[in-house]
Order: sequence, then structure tokens, then C-alpha cells
Amino acid sequence: MNLNTMISLTINGFAMGMIYALMAMGLILLIRAIGVMNFAQGDLLMFGAFITCALTVDLKLPLWALIPIALVIFSVVGVVFMFTVYWPLRNATYPTATVISTMGAAMVLKEIATLIWGSLPRSMPPLMKNPTTGKAAILKFNGVTLQWQFVLTILVGIVLITLVFILFEKLYAGRMMQAAAQDKYAAELLGIPTILTTAATYIIVVTLASVGGYMIAPIFMVSNTLGSLQLRAFAGVVIGGFGNIKGAILGSILIGLVESYSTVQFSQYKDAVVFLVLIAVLLIRPQGLFGEKVADKA
Amino acid sequence: MKKRKIQLKTSTCLVFLAAAIFVAVVPAVNEGYSMMVLNLGLIYAIATYGLSVMLGLGGQLSFAAVAFMGVGAYLTANLCSGRHGFWVGTSLTLLITLLVSAALAYFVGLILFRLSGTYFTFATIGLVQVAWSFYLSYKPLFGGPDGISNIASLRIFGWTPANYNEWFFVLAGIVLVVALLVERIRRSQLGRSLSAIRDNEIAAQTLGIHVYKTKVIAFTIAGVLAALAGALYAMHSQFVSSDMFTFERATSYIIMAMLGGVNNTAGIFVGSVLVTMLPEWLRGMQKYLQLIYGIGVILLMIFMPMGLAGLTSNIGKSIKRKLFPKAPQADKRAKEDAKA
Repeated sequence: MNLNTMISLTINGFAMGMIYALMAMGLILLIRAIGVMNFAQGDLLMFGAFITCALTVDLKLPLWALIPIALVIFSVVGVVFMFTVYWPLRNATYPTATVISTMGAAMVLKEIATLIWGSLPRSMPPLMKNPTTGKAAILKFNGVTLQWQFVLTILVGIVLITLVFILFEKLYAGRMMQAAAQDKYAAELLGIPTILTTAATYIIVVTLASVGGYMIAPIFMVSNTLGSLQLRAFAGVVIGGFGNIKGAILGSILIGLVESYSTVQFSQYKDAVVFLVLIAVLLIRPQGLFGEKVADKA
Repeated sequence: MKKRKIQLKTSTCLVFLAAAIFVAVVPAVNEGYSMMVLNLGLIYAIATYGLSVMLGLGGQLSFAAVAFMGVGAYLTANLCSGRHGFWVGTSLTLLITLLVSAALAYFVGLILFRLSGTYFTFATIGLVQVAWSFYLSYKPLFGGPDGISNIASLRIFGWTPANYNEWFFVLAGIVLVVALLVERIRRSQLGRSLSAIRDNEIAAQTLGIHVYKTKVIAFTIAGVLAALAGALYAMHSQFVSSDMFTFERATSYIIMAMLGGVNNTAGIFVGSVLVTMLPEWLRGMQKYLQLIYGIGVILLMIFMPMGLAGLTSNIGKSIKRKLFPKAPQADKRAKEDAKA
């Protein structure tokens, strides 16, 4: 393997890792807020990819119009998701019930997407096109060739992750959300509207996943099998350590890189390699690479 | 000393009656394709019983059932299809499958139960994914994407089920044995230890239960039952391919268990058969089937997290209360306890 392939594999892996990180961050936010693993995360990504695909391909919206409209739709999806899958179950005595209902939600999302947009995979134009050929723009330096899409994915990922960190570390609203996530009862006594903070968490989660879907849509096709990507995000969360956002991001990027490098040697067993890494990490360091022991709410 | 009496509760009698009617009526009115689907439901029920030992009794959410189903199915496929140039009798194959899968499940359980709670669940997802990609890609043992065909059908004492209806009786018998076994486990020391672990692991430990060992044993039981289901699936369909052993399949087993009532032996069976037969009954609504199914799962979790079994027991209690308002069950129990 020469240096050039190495560099392009690294960038590709990093970009995929960013997608997983966006999903993983959403997973952690939900674990913190409601203490439940969301098994519909990948299907939220798929749904976001379909929505943005419909907006760009069918309605031919330019990017400046796409962003606000898409954000509004994501917010609606987030709120609907919360009030159907979490709200009725918030006092459930049997914790597995909440997990199973997110599995049901995953099926529903997949089917709604199939009913609206059909079962055939759709193609989506890349964000940066080559003006002469109309195909994906390629970045070339020193003999390394890369799709611009991967670079953009990394940039968008970094921006979103920074925004979430600013929200939770610097802004008052973010602190309210954290307080509500840590102790709902005490937060309510302090006058924090926990229903609003939970809804905000859901909107952020859906937006993160959907933007991930928008970014990878040109690389893969838009189809209802995109949901399977969530397993990698799970792996990232577990490798990073439960409940730890920084760890989840680094874990997800690690998963992306492992996946990317493993395509060279054993492309058939890509999945196996990723999950063998997961199992190995779990056995050596069950609390994850960056995790402390946290209470297991789920 | 008191003489041991066999006590039969009304509900138990009703369950057996329902089962007898089911076995008598169903093969008489169905045949061919729909019978095959029903048989698959029975096979899934065996694996789901394993899940109920893990999830219902032990409270451990495990996705590993499909991985072990794969072990059973592919062992059977390799031994009974002659693809390596030798044939092994089907009864012997079943025995080998059970032993190998028990050893394997015990070993895997020893490793995975160093983790607890959600970490354990994730390790089982990893296991399913690793196993699946090998089933999909490794040709010499698993046939790769083409799968393995030409698997010999089951042969018991020189008799081979000729069609799906005859298979039905064989499978129904096996399911009955497995169900009784699980019911027995529920009432045994192992079952009570598992329930204690589910309810409070630390308390269970202080009561002297060896938590790790108990969990590993439960995992082994679940693995063996799943492998048995896999072996029967291979012999029944005479074809095995990797798409039977994906993560999506694993979630459907969990839904089967939850639909019927994860802690109810009869409920598990009803849940498995219902989930398997639903696509057949709602053939006209094929397009919306998965949607209905998904919404159904969410509604089920909201309104009856203990599944159909929870619902029927609630209905049963309220009927009893209406029929015998003066002698509620609880009071009678309390009086008996006071006497003893």
C-alpha cells in the first residue's frame, strides 16, 4: 500500500467516521436525556437522506432555500418522533419496552419512506460538481485523488459537532437541557420545562442524523437500506464509552478508519473486522476507551 | 409428610386444550405453502423460547439467537448435504449440533458476560454481525452468497416426513417438549436465580447466587435452543442462506417474544406464530404490511408491554372478578397461607 492510497483511505474513512459520529452523538444525547438507546437512528438518517433528496432532485431547490426548509421538516420529524415513540412510554415500568418501540419506529420510518418515494434506490447529485462533465468534483494533489464530497462531509461534521459543543458548554439553553437530562425531577422543580428540552434534544438528534444522510446520499445511493449504518454508530458509541460525547466521536471516527483500511485486505469481511474490533475493545476495556463507569440506565 | 399431588390449574388446562385443538385443526384445513410458513413459525418459536429464558427470566437483551441459529443450520447443512463427500445421518447430526452449539454458546457466554447490561447487548449485536459476514462470504463452509442446498430431510427411526403437514406434527411435538422444558426451567432453581438477577443483580449476589455462572448457563440454553431451531430449519427447507441470519431477523425474534408476553410460555408460542403468519393473513395489504407491523409494535409496547399474555391475564382476572365477586383469588390465597 503506497502513501497515496493510504492518504485517500484515511480521508474516506475519516469522512465515514464523521457520519457515524453525527449519529453517535445523537445516540448519546438521547441516552443522556431519556436513558434509552435509539434503534431508529439509522432510519432517521435514511429518512433525512430521502427528504433532502426530494427537496433537491424533485423540487430543485437551491442550497440557500434547502437549508431552512429542511431544518423545519427535520424539526417536525423530531417532534413527531418524540411524541409517538417516547412520550407515551416515559413512565414505562419495563425498560426493554422503550427500546423495542424504537425498533418499531425504525420499521415505520423505513416503510413510510418506501411508500412515499418507492423502493428503488435514488441517485443524488454531489454538492460540488465538475462544471464540464457534471460528475462529482475530484480533488487532486500530488497524485492523490479524492472526491470533494468526502472533504465537505468532514467539514460539515466538524462544524455541526462544534455547534453542539457550543450549545451544551456555553449557552444557557444547553445547560438547561443538560440539567433536565441529568435529573428531570429537580430540573422541573427549578422551573425548567423538561418537555421543551426533551423536544429540543429530539430535534437536534434528528437534524444531526439527517444532515449525515444528506452528506452521504451522493456517495451511496438514497435507499431504505441506509438504516443499517446505525450499527456502526452503535459500535462507535460503545468503543468511545457510554454517555461520553467526545469518546463517541473519536470511537466513530476510529470505526470509520478501521472500516476504510480493512477494505484493502479483506473487503468481504469489512463488517466482521469492524465488529471484531468492537468485541475486542469491549473485552479489554468494557467501559470503552474514554468512558468512566456510568450508571446503566437503559 | 404430605403426599405430592399433581395440581392442574384451569389456565394450564385451557392452554393444553387450545394446543390440542391447534394441532388437530390446523393441518386439516391448511396445506402446501401456508403449512410451510406455519412450520417456520413453529421453528422460530423454538429459538424464541431460548430468548424468553434470556430476556424474560434473566432480563438480558440478547440478539445472539440468529448467530446460533446459523451455527445449527450450517452444521446441519455441511453434514447432511454431502458437499464434503460424506453424509451423516440426521439424528446423529441433530445430536452433534446440540453438543457443538452448547460448547460454543458456553464459551461465547463466558466471554460476553464479562460485560453487563447494554454493553452485553452490544457485544451480541457485534457477534451477529461478525457471524453474518462470515456466513455471507466464506464459501468453503457456508456456501457464500449462494447458500447451501440439497440438505437431507429429517429421518427419525427410518421415517421421513413426506410433506409439510407431516413435518407439522414433528415440529409441534418438538415445540411442546421445548415449551415444557422452559416451563420447568422457570420453576427450577435456575429460573428463580435468573429472575432474581433480572430484578436486582446486587441483591441476587448477596443471596448467594453465582450471577456470572447463572447468566452463562442461561445463554447456553438459549444458544442450544436457537441452534436446534437452525438445524430443524435447514432440514425443513433443505436450503440455507445467509439472509436468514441478519440483524433484522434478530429484532423480529425479540418482537415475537414481546408480542406474546416475554414471561409466558404459551404466549411465546402465540407470538411467534402470529408474527410469522401475519404476512400470510394480510396478503391483500402487502404494501402496508410492514407499516402496520411497525405501528403495531409501538402500540403494543405502549398499551401492553407484557404482550398478549399480560392482556389475557388481565381480562381473565376481570372475568373472574365479575363471575365470583365474593371470593377473590387473593383472599383465598391469603387464607390458605394463614392456615399453613
